[in-house]
Amino acid sequence: MSIPHGAGAPEPNGSQPMVQARNVHKYFGRHHVLRGIDLTVPKGHVHVIIGPSGSGKSTILRCLNHLEKIQQGEIAIDGEPMGYRMVHGKPREDTGKNIARMRSEVGMVFQRFNLFPHMTALSNIIEAPIRVRGMSKSAAIDRAMKLLDHVGMREKAHAFPSQLSGGQQQRIAIARALAMEPKVMLFDEATSALDPELVGDVLNVMRQLALDGMTMVVVTHEMGFAKDVGDHVVFMDEGVIVEEGPPSRIFEQPAHERTRAFLRSVLRTQ
Amino acid sequence: MLIDGAKITLELTVLAQVMGVLLGIIAALCKTSKVLPLRILAELYIWLFRGTPVLVQLLIWWAMLPQTPEFSVALIALGLNEGAYMSEIVRAGLEAVDKGQTEAAQSLGMRYRQIMSRIVLPQAMRVIIPPTGNEFISMLKTTSLASVISMDELLQRSQNIYECTGCDGANAILPLLAVAALYYLALSTVFTFIQGYIESQLGDRRAEELGWFRAVIRKGRLLFIS
Repeated sequence: MSIPHGAGAPEPNGSQPMVQARNVHKYFGRHHVLRGIDLTVPKGHVHVIIGPSGSGKSTILRCLNHLEKIQQGEIAIDGEPMGYRMVHGKPREDTGKNIARMRSEVGMVFQRFNLFPHMTALSNIIEAPIRVRGMSKSAAIDRAMKLLDHVGMREKAHAFPSQLSGGQQQRIAIARALAMEPKVMLFDEATSALDPELVGDVLNVMRQLALDGMTMVVVTHEMGFAKDVGDHVVFMDEGVIVEEGPPSRIFEQPAHERTRAFLRSVLRTQ
Repeated sequence: MLIDGAKITLELTVLAQVMGVLLGIIAALCKTSKVLPLRILAELYIWLFRGTPVLVQLLIWWAMLPQTPEFSVALIALGLNEGAYMSEIVRAGLEAVDKGQTEAAQSLGMRYRQIMSRIVLPQAMRVIIPPTGNEFISMLKTTSLASVISMDELLQRSQNIYECTGCDGANAILPLLAVAALYYLALSTVFTFIQGYIESQLGDRRAEELGWFRAVIRKGRLLFIS
């Protein structure tokens, strides 16, 4: 069932986009992995990035919260440059303090969950609000329990990650990211490491998040999700954006042969 | 008499090992730091103190600090030496922690100090503890070197007894050394059991979840009561 959403292509409106990447280039050694990527994600929009492995889609996502450094181009979150400051007209690596501050506004969900194994689900969620935001433990626990409710994991609050299934862990990971009340959520193949029967629960949480108005950038292979929830689909291949547009157009009338070939290969397995 | 020597030996072992662990953690963090001068300093320290024999280091410190009591000199020498070796153990522990842990913590806005102390080091302990147990048992025996600077520990006392003038020294050498060796063996054996116990607790999933340290304390208390 298709969830009604906005027109699809990001319209230029008065307010600034939540995520803006301009002409981003990145090298891993000599490998030119990002070749001039432009992204504009307006507030409240869900951008889905699809593409074959090695296309650079995870890399550009990781550049958005400066887990990877860029060699050229600009990235801004809610108008603020991410990871660097302009000093005398030249970009200079930002301080650890500023980078951490900006990162706390950008939530990230990883393919391998990356929950802290030596802490319970609840402890995982309250750790950052207490240590980074200086929240009181009781307030943090309050918020954590609400988030656990939201992702349907309340009864597992005191479980350790090793006692939970992949889908449960990922939902806890989403709650952990949400605990910092980020402006935008990044999903790096959040369901790729899950057994198929667990994928649905996580996608439902992501869908609800989108309905609640969260700005999201999602790297995924789940085309159904992209069609249902995405406002804008970006197809990447070999470090460039081959084409982008509303899901209805990309999936039904792809303009480029590479897009068609990719969709054929993916939809064959779904 | 000898038992007091054993006590002092034990004291030196514990203090020198603790010093070694602390220095090792600092050196490992420096060695993996982004700050170049810290990295260089750490490399220099490790190179110097791993590259020279402990005995030589002990004698050098003793010669440099004539006014300082022997126990302190031995502590400095053994502690510094141990720190160099511990740094490699700690570094291996840090590298054993999945990089995703650091990335998750970073993406939540945590900073280096918090990430290290709350996320990485606790997980690194699992890899650091077993070899540290070995280092401790090794340290127990290394303290016997302090006898060469006349420190009043177990071996020195044994030597004093059979070297004393007017005593029937020559016949007493072997028995005394045998007793000293037995003391070392007894202490080593006790610690080997303790180490084995701690390691089994580390392997136990329940213990990891309770926090290995709390689990050991809890079991220890039970043993004590029963």
